[in-house]
Amino acid sequence: MKTLFVNTRYLIVPVMSIITILGLISGGINVWAGVALFGISAIVDTATKNIHLRADFDEEGNSYGIKIFQYAVMYLMLIVFVALQLALVWRIYQYVNGSPFDLYSFYGLTIQTGITTTNLIGAIISAGLWAGIGIIYGHELSHNKKEGFFISRLIMSLSGASHFTYAHVYQHHLHLGHENDPATAPRGRNVYMHTWLSHAGQCKFSYDLETSRLKKKGKSFLSLDNRWILGYLYSLPSIVLFVWAGGFVGVAALLSLWVIANFELEALNFMGHYGLIREKNKPVEHKHSWDNDSVFTDWFFIAIGRQADHHVRGETYFWELDDVKGPNYGIGYFSLFLITLVPPLFRSYMKKHLDNWDQKYANEKEREIASQYGY
Amino acid sequence: MFNFFEKKDLKVKLIPSLQKVQLKTGDNLLASALAQGIKWPHKCRVGSCGTCRCKLVEGKISPEIDFENVLNPEQLKEGYILACKSSVKTDLLIHVNLHKEKKDNTT
Repeated sequence: MKTLFVNTRYLIVPVMSIITILGLISGGINVWAGVALFGISAIVDTATKNIHLRADFDEEGNSYGIKIFQYAVMYLMLIVFVALQLALVWRIYQYVNGSPFDLYSFYGLTIQTGITTTNLIGAIISAGLWAGIGIIYGHELSHNKKEGFFISRLIMSLSGASHFTYAHVYQHHLHLGHENDPATAPRGRNVYMHTWLSHAGQCKFSYDLETSRLKKKGKSFLSLDNRWILGYLYSLPSIVLFVWAGGFVGVAALLSLWVIANFELEALNFMGHYGLIREKNKPVEHKHSWDNDSVFTDWFFIAIGRQADHHVRGETYFWELDDVKGPNYGIGYFSLFLITLVPPLFRSYMKKHLDNWDQKYANEKEREIASQYGY
Repeated sequence: MFNFFEKKDLKVKLIPSLQKVQLKTGDNLLASALAQGIKWPHKCRVGSCGTCRCKLVEGKISPEIDFENVLNPEQLKEGYILACKSSVKTDLLIHVNLHKEKKDNTT
């Protein structure tokens, strides 16, 4: 029973993503289902922010997590995210071609053909919000299996962010807390600025990494083996589909989807390490990441909020990550995300947390570096 | 009936220190060694820094990440692997200098 519970509690996103897809297919006001589910998640997350659970192990210290099941779910999520884009493309096609409004029934699902401009906007936001959640699978799969790394690249390429997989493993994990890690937000930066700077910095890193790898192998940059170029080519089917279905409307829809998805990705990076400092060449410790592990956040985001443990034991599967008593916001990602959207509010909220970090966790040198930044 | 899923007990022998690591099929090499008190040099534990590199002399591992971005072609040809991203498949004989680049892990 415990095994069943531990393994199914991480299915919130798969279930909600599928409901979002059904909403897009169903049409009418149902295309807003993704937005509504995101809002409901924020409410539940905020309401349960004080519940924090530990990872579950049996008496012999073995995890209840079933690796083959969790990986099967993560791999299948690639298909779910593809279906999400296809459902949106279908709606864009109907909008551009002025499909008549009509009602059909398909296996009990009522489908309204045709779509208004307002509902198309809702469909794009719904799809963007849930495409962005793909980061939680893209992230986990970047770490523990070679084929998983490839699936991670494909999932991220659906959001135009295939560079993430390489940049996360080879740059962020190595340099977090340093100014040469674009994914670590220094004190004073807001989430909007961070999104662009972090995205551009990680793209540049992936380019440099691949240039160096090809040089070592004696290959030209313009090669079929160029993983940096290949990563962006993986996004090509999305571009072709959206352009085919909607022309300029399709391009605008895809760009909007990518902006929303990448904003979510970078918001997670932003919240994970905001303002934390690590001396150059010093080891990564629990204190160099913020934990967000309230119960709903933990289950929804497949424990990506257990950043402190993850960055010290990078080989550990998400269902085995635990509370290691690192710096903790004490609230979930949804609640914190809403705060980050208002930069003055976020700075004010973070002041007490950063003061606490400076006093309780930082060493002399880290405090010295911190003093160079304001809030 | 479910022997197919059962993990086999395996042994990893380290040279020149002659220390041994007991683990099961599919276990992570570095994590198992660290859990058994072996001071294996390491830093990132995601396969990006190369501090845990060692030479696979005998046996089979399954790489959990592409080693190409960290190890050069000569090292790969010589059998070097990254312990933090190696899933153990059979008994192993590994050459690792447990005192090398100590500063990578401690400074």
